[in-house]
Amino acid sequence: MKIFQVALGILAAIGGFVDIGDLVFNVSAGATFGYQLLWVVVIGVVGIVVYSEMCGRVAAVSGKAVFDAVRERVGFKSGLAVLVASQVVNLMTLTAEIGGVAICLQLLSGLAYRWLIVVAGAALLVVVWVTAFEWIERIFGYGGLCLLVFAVAAVKLHPGWGAVGHGFVPHLEMKSPLLYAYFAVGLLGAALTPYEVYFYSSGGVEEGWGPKDLRLNKVNAMIGYGLGGFLSFALMIVGGALFLGKGIEPEFLGSIALGAEVPLGQIGLLLALVGILFAVSGAAIDTLFSGAYNLAQFLGWEWGRYRTPRGAPRFTITWLVLLVLALGVVMTGVDPVQLTEYAVIFSAVALPLTYIPILLVANDRSYMREYVNGRLANTLGLIYLIVILFIALTAIPLLILTNAGQN
Amino acid sequence: MIVVTYRLGLALLVFVLAGCNGGTVDRHALKRDAEKVGSLATEGELLANDVSKGASTEAFARVHAKELAGAAFDLARSLAKRPTSRGIESDVRKLSKLAGKVSKELEQLHLHPTDRAVAKSLEKPLQDDADAADSLAK
Repeated sequence: MKIFQVALGILAAIGGFVDIGDLVFNVSAGATFGYQLLWVVVIGVVGIVVYSEMCGRVAAVSGKAVFDAVRERVGFKSGLAVLVASQVVNLMTLTAEIGGVAICLQLLSGLAYRWLIVVAGAALLVVVWVTAFEWIERIFGYGGLCLLVFAVAAVKLHPGWGAVGHGFVPHLEMKSPLLYAYFAVGLLGAALTPYEVYFYSSGGVEEGWGPKDLRLNKVNAMIGYGLGGFLSFALMIVGGALFLGKGIEPEFLGSIALGAEVPLGQIGLLLALVGILFAVSGAAIDTLFSGAYNLAQFLGWEWGRYRTPRGAPRFTITWLVLLVLALGVVMTGVDPVQLTEYAVIFSAVALPLTYIPILLVANDRSYMREYVNGRLANTLGLIYLIVILFIALTAIPLLILTNAGQN
Repeated sequence: MIVVTYRLGLALLVFVLAGCNGGTVDRHALKRDAEKVGSLATEGELLANDVSKGASTEAFARVHAKELAGAAFDLARSLAKRPTSRGIESDVRKLSKLAGKVSKELEQLHLHPTDRAVAKSLEKPLQDDADAADSLAK
């Protein structure tokens, strides 16, 4: 299996698992609770691997992406509710990611933020318009690997490895249980964001996956999201080792980059900023496509980046409109970092609407033939469904009770 | 279902926004804001230390110092404007002044992002500000 073939998983992981929401939540969680929430990341990684593998398998066997399945399995009205919820969260996330791209460019160049929003929008437009899907995966997926600098930074900061190890053991925190629960729910919500599976399954269809690619699907899901999880560990350890003891509450993307600058100097800073730039740009493209995929699949339009704009005109117009809308919102001056926190929490509420249909379709023999879910996939799928329902029910109350993690 | 979701979302948005950076400064809010001022000062000190060692870049130091200065300025202004619970007026005034001082120091870092001497001279005051904020948070 060639290394380039796992690019979809790496882009989905870098652009989906380690997007602006994960960067913020992981470092903030580390700065607030040290390494105590590392176990939550493990739960999130396993969950996204389980469901990505499932929806990649559905795409490979049936040639249908997640939203096709949603419409077919839950009917038009409920499907419309899923569509509206997912599009709202997608737009919020896209807006935050574009703002994140502009902030990164500003931290690299020192130029004015508002101009850089326009530059970011124009660059995304050009890249998405002229670049083939597989090259988008490769450029942003592998460019985002610069984030591995946070793993080096984590080691250089000499964390207490015993405490890090203890963080992987599930436990509760009794001093600030609500805040702990808020971060746990936020980390799980960020790990299981619906647009990741929308993008992943549609990407499988874009790449023309068939049953022969099921092994590639498994490897993509495990390596890609495994890598995303590894980066999340590194970010949380940096947050715990550098910021917790000093009482720093990282509120800016620049604070996250500072986490690499302090132990590694200029080279660490530049690698961190380039890595964040690629990761956040990749996430912007993921969400941009996800929004267009969802609408096109729900309404039965032609879709796919593998088609020319003329071959899928309504799909093309949809992503163009989404890009313009998101740029308009960013230009109002909304804080991308705050927006992403709300996007993560609101997406947590929409999780069951995305994941229940996937589980139903993956168990449907008329779709899946001999590739229907096995016992392990169903057991894990059901366990995660309970976790997802719990997250969906508690996300908003925790957001309010903790004043978005401020109390 | 869509209408219900929309109304629920709107109600939640209003509720959440109502809790943002407004209302009376009570002891709890004073503690939280003091922690924020301390955080900004400490982060500024880390940045100043990197600049003084030549371990940062001009663009990053300039932009990030401005972000931190802006956040400290907003806190100073907000603390000066908001009504205050009885008995803590003096501490709130002190914190507001402290946030303003932190903002001005970070503004210096923003204006001189490559000047190692300026950065070095800012480390101690920012550390002292962080300690002062820490005392007010207790």
